Amino acid sequence: VSVAVPPTTASPAAPAREPWPLMRGAPTDAALTDHLLAPLWRASRLWWLLFALSTLGTLLLLGTVTYTVLVGIGTWGNNIPVAWAFAITNFVWWIGIGHAGTFISAFLLLLNQHWRGSINRVAEAMTIFALVNAALFPLLHLGRPWFFYWLIPYPATMNVWPNFKSALPWDVAAVTTYFTVSLLFWYLGLVPDLASARDRAPTRRRRLAYGVFAMGWHGSGFQWERYRIAYVLLAALATPLVISVHSVVSLDFSIAQLPGWHSTIFPPYFVVGAIYSGLAMVLILLLPLRRAFRLYDIVTEAHLDAIAKLMLAMGLMLTYSYVIETFMAWYSANTAERYTYLTSRPFGPYAIAYWIMTILNVVSPQLFWWRRLRTNTVVLFLTSAGILVGMWMERFIIIVTSLNRDFLTSSWHIYIPTWVDWSILAGSLGLFGFLFLLFVRFVPSVAISEVKSLSIELSQSPAGSSDA
Amino acid sequence: VTHEDDLTRRSFLKALGASIALAGLDGCNRIPAEKILPFVTQPPELTPGVAVHYATSMVLDGYATGLVVEAHEGRPTKIEGNPDHPASLGAAGILEQASLLQLYDPNRAKRIRLGSAPSTWQSFTTAMSPAALRQRVGARGTGLALLLEPTSSPLIANALASLQTLYPDMSVYYYAPLLSGASGTALTVDGLIPQYDIGAAEVILSVGSDFLAAVPFHLRYARQFSDRRRTPLTGMNRLYVAETGFSVTGATADHRLRCRPAEMESLLEALLETLAAGSASPTAVTGRSAASFSSSPWLTAVAADLRAHGGNSLVVAGERLAPRVHALVAACNDALGSTGRTVWYTRSPLLGVGQANTNMSALADALRGGGIDTLVCIGGNPSYATPASLGFAAMLKRVPNSAFIGLYENETARDTRWFVPSAHYLESWGDARAYDGTYSIVQPLVQPLYGGKSAIEVLSALAGSPSADPRVGVKESSLSAGVTRDDDSWSAALRRGFVPTLPVARVAAGPRPELLRLPASTSGPPGSLDVMFDRDPRVHDGSFANNGWLQELPDPVTKLTWDNAVLVSPDTAGRLGVANGDVLLLRRDTRTLRMPALIVPGVASDAAIVHFGYGRTGGEEVAKGVGVDAYQLWPELGAYAVSGISVERAAGADHHDFAITQTHWTMEGRDQARSESLDAYRNEQHGAESQATKPSRRQLTIYDPPQRLESPHQWAMTIDLGTCIGCSACVVACQSENNIPVVGRDDVAKSREMHWLRIDRYLEGPAENPRVVTQPMLCQHCENAPCEYVCPVEATEHSPDGLNEMIYNRCVGTRFCSNNCPYKVRRFNWFDYNAHLSETEQMAKNPDVTVRERGVMEKCTFCVQRIREAEIDAGTSGRPLRGDEIKTACQQACPTNAIVFGSLTERDSEMMRRREESRVYGVLSELGTEPRVRYLARIRNPNPQLEDGR
Repeated sequence: VSVAVPPTTASPAAPAREPWPLMRGAPTDAALTDHLLAPLWRASRLWWLLFALSTLGTLLLLGTVTYTVLVGIGTWGNNIPVAWAFAITNFVWWIGIGHAGTFISAFLLLLNQHWRGSINRVAEAMTIFALVNAALFPLLHLGRPWFFYWLIPYPATMNVWPNFKSALPWDVAAVTTYFTVSLLFWYLGLVPDLASARDRAPTRRRRLAYGVFAMGWHGSGFQWERYRIAYVLLAALATPLVISVHSVVSLDFSIAQLPGWHSTIFPPYFVVGAIYSGLAMVLILLLPLRRAFRLYDIVTEAHLDAIAKLMLAMGLMLTYSYVIETFMAWYSANTAERYTYLTSRPFGPYAIAYWIMTILNVVSPQLFWWRRLRTNTVVLFLTSAGILVGMWMERFIIIVTSLNRDFLTSSWHIYIPTWVDWSILAGSLGLFGFLFLLFVRFVPSVAISEVKSLSIELSQSPAGSSDA
Repeated sequence: VTHEDDLTRRSFLKALGASIALAGLDGCNRIPAEKILPFVTQPPELTPGVAVHYATSMVLDGYATGLVVEAHEGRPTKIEGNPDHPASLGAAGILEQASLLQLYDPNRAKRIRLGSAPSTWQSFTTAMSPAALRQRVGARGTGLALLLEPTSSPLIANALASLQTLYPDMSVYYYAPLLSGASGTALTVDGLIPQYDIGAAEVILSVGSDFLAAVPFHLRYARQFSDRRRTPLTGMNRLYVAETGFSVTGATADHRLRCRPAEMESLLEALLETLAAGSASPTAVTGRSAASFSSSPWLTAVAADLRAHGGNSLVVAGERLAPRVHALVAACNDALGSTGRTVWYTRSPLLGVGQANTNMSALADALRGGGIDTLVCIGGNPSYATPASLGFAAMLKRVPNSAFIGLYENETARDTRWFVPSAHYLESWGDARAYDGTYSIVQPLVQPLYGGKSAIEVLSALAGSPSADPRVGVKESSLSAGVTRDDDSWSAALRRGFVPTLPVARVAAGPRPELLRLPASTSGPPGSLDVMFDRDPRVHDGSFANNGWLQELPDPVTKLTWDNAVLVSPDTAGRLGVANGDVLLLRRDTRTLRMPALIVPGVASDAAIVHFGYGRTGGEEVAKGVGVDAYQLWPELGAYAVSGISVERAAGADHHDFAITQTHWTMEGRDQARSESLDAYRNEQHGAESQATKPSRRQLTIYDPPQRLESPHQWAMTIDLGTCIGCSACVVACQSENNIPVVGRDDVAKSREMHWLRIDRYLEGPAENPRVVTQPMLCQHCENAPCEYVCPVEATEHSPDGLNEMIYNRCVGTRFCSNNCPYKVRRFNWFDYNAHLSETEQMAKNPDVTVRERGVMEKCTFCVQRIREAEIDAGTSGRPLRGDEIKTACQQACPTNAIVFGSLTERDSEMMRRREESRVYGVLSELGTEPRVRYLARIRNPNPQLEDGR
């Protein structure tokens, strides 16, 4: 099926201080729909290559997870004192990434940020897939994962309930709630686009498949009215969850009295870090997608600029958290606290991870003070990749360096990850890629209906400029 | 069809019942056929589920230690000390306790063989019967030789005597690698051994002796020593140690001098001169080495202190040091007037001691001469545990008719014609004498699991009566110890496990000018190492190398597991340019040895310690590939301190990774293990600010205090760091009592050892010669337990009597509890460590304690099974339970009584009395955990003339 591709001018250097347009050109609705649905009907060679790679990664994950469940988590490098390590690091990291989707779609929807319309679909899908990965780890890291459901409050015949004093049952509740709402929100946003796909599907089988998932959407005013109300309500429900999930996750650490965990700043600190890493992942996914699907007119410099500004803000807040927790450790005059923050982390066995984290999370976003760099796709991509690494290191440092040298010096011990640890991390990236590639292949990766309505809005308003 | 019709429901149930009963019978047939008697009260019958205790003895290098062994349904499950036996006093050492696992070792030899073909006991006894053997060795037995482990057994002595009547010209040799001097143990020129009264000594100088942990009577000595330290303010003793390596005794010392082996001799020479200077008849010391110590302030202060306490002082020498050292020490004790008061001499009960024609050199000479046709080796492992330069293995192979009776098909078994599995001591009848001569009985608890034969059965077979009843033999030989022929007397002896006798006669040991005149030993040339070849604290001479409990037990000083190493001081390592794990090449004459270095603070400069017992190549699977065989470098029998061994970094050698349980040795300025000097402590009693008695910070909290618990007993423990010597007996006791799995070298290297109780060892002061504090660390049973509130499934909870309980079958394994435990005493089952236990190893498990599965957390329970058993027992007999009736396994094994357990509600108990001392404190109690385990700060008693600890 040949699709008329609207003419594009690739990233022209706009005059300084001129606001970036939110959309370029004035395509017709039909042309927009055709353009945005095009990837659904034909897969490129690049797609197949990446899909093959990510399938291998997924198989690696499957293999190592099976091995771990069969043999025991002794296959990992964990020990006493470092009883949590890669699995929980990965968990917190993926959960953090999962924050940006709902942040962008729900938070910004309520704040009336129009620019979100062209990127929210990607961000939401990313959230879902990141949560799938995240949910795997707490399950997998259990000594007896087959009893995971004991953490869920259900009326057991023995009358045993989870321990509500512990943060972990709350963690389970927070993550499952967030996942459910995110999934619903994503699906609700998809319905009109699935209907478009149904209407333009080239084969009967596809028409049928998209038809089932479109649930009879035909775009009447009545449906749109109900739809808008439902969407905003769900957004209102999802917005507090963005804040609560990572706050609860942070309590997994801060309710402990371990130096490095025992800190009241954790909830906001974790939420900020989560959104930070999530935005970085959005860029990592969006920039190649923009190029591959030629979305330059829909995802413009205005979007990149807005995301980069948000990242800079988050980076500064995170830096503040780093400074405050270190200061408080010193101010407490507690030997163990001071040792963890002032000796073990910057100069201990994992000092390299600490300094990588500091450079990537604190120093690198400072590039975004420059408008030119905020729209330079290479800089954006590399900085985002760096921030993702830095945020992973941050969680590793919080978890491992707090545990490996705690109160009694006699129990101090190094933690060294095994090949299984590395493979599961690599495999989870593979699974993420696998799911994401399936997503861009079978689901419209830009919210077509929202872009169309934005297009109309822009054509009606004389300024047609960004409000980012 | 009719068949099935015949099988009615009733008959089916009958058949089922019968087969279960038969299966049950089959499972219980391990009780010896002979009548054996329980320790205190004989039950009317064996009650399933109720443990029975039997007294027996374990013999190590010839000397017996009295034990009480717990048995469940006929299988021994736990070895404890016999409270009445003089060598035990209720405590048990690590080897005694771990010998239980040896009993069940699936690697133990199971078949008799001739050459490589399977054979039978019948064939062996026929071939070795006098009728057959006389053909080979001559009518007078000229060609017959026996090689035994050192033994003090009257039973063996009788058997040998009767064998001697059959074969008047046969020769008998005794060998143990750690007692291989010219005449067995050192200072036994006349067959004499020193006996100490450590409790009577105010001031003790130990020169290279690990008398608190590594000599035959160490459990008793440790008790006597610690009794003088229990209440520091009244009559505390003082211990000086001069040694090359770092021993348990050295770590306990108030002052420790590290010196090379030859320097120990110079030190004693200078001491003797100083002491003799004031006496009427100065002892002449000739053949002096360099007088490097005459002006040493250390020696001056020590000599003055020793002399000030006259006869209440004591000098002790390491049992494997040169005879001249022992002569010097004896002379020092004479000069101090201590001889007869804190030290006296008795005749060694070991057979053949003091006779040069019974030692290994004599056997080697005889083998070289070729006159031996038949050599029967009973026990030991001479092909492995002899200096490689002796070439014993090759000589043994050339013996036409050789036999080896051993627990394992080890290195020696490969070199002999016959091999017969030997019975474990828990499977055989026997007897032996303790170090002080006490007659002790070895009583079997099970029939031989693998058909092994005991030494006495083999000797009887040689004498032509293979079916002689060993029990009758023991009964006969006990007559010599004062047991009478009437059954009550015999029963009483069996129940007690030994015969209390009058002290063995003291023998005067005169001065030995001839020994003093011997040339003094010298240190090696610069650049070389003086190496002490030493007993390994865990596997002894290698005979316990196949024991997982011992391999995994951290060395009391180095915390090394599953390995041995060249132990060198930091300065020597610096000189050699080596780091931990770098492989060294040691060379002595033509012999070389590649062995990794381990840097241990406190070892003498330019000296090294090398432990025997590793690098095994026999049929023992656990021991295989562990460590390096130091016997390969051992130059000659009897020489344990060898100077002038050249050393260099081995070219192209791989780095060796050690599995060490404690990798950080300092406290980083924290105060978890508190210690201070006696003077400071005394001042504190008068109100001065202190380290040991500093009050716990008051808890300011917005939360409610821990819930008051209602039970009449509130369990708690007090541990006295002042008497803890770090010997690690408690660790093995806990492992045995609580079914703690062995995880293996790789997992220990990953810090996954499962010990519920560990001994933390902290060093203070300069790395060259640090002070040591050892601290048993176990679950503190916090009233405000950090582990409890973080568990998402309530798998760890508090009991009404104050125990922090672990509910294994509720645990899902999040490990949050361990993360939040500030003491890091929780242990996790990373794998299914119990999955591959052999049938016999399963029998070693304590049936009162759950065996944990993969993926659950575990930790110290305060031996809850013992608490509940005592409660039930008291409940059924309707009497109130006293908290101090219960002894935890660690408390029971502790030779120094450093650990006491009891109830907080019983204010008159020993546990509570100790808590009233001002030096009591809770580790990390500033966290608000309210630990139920409290520690008493260690008080040192330094000489004010010297720097504290050095």
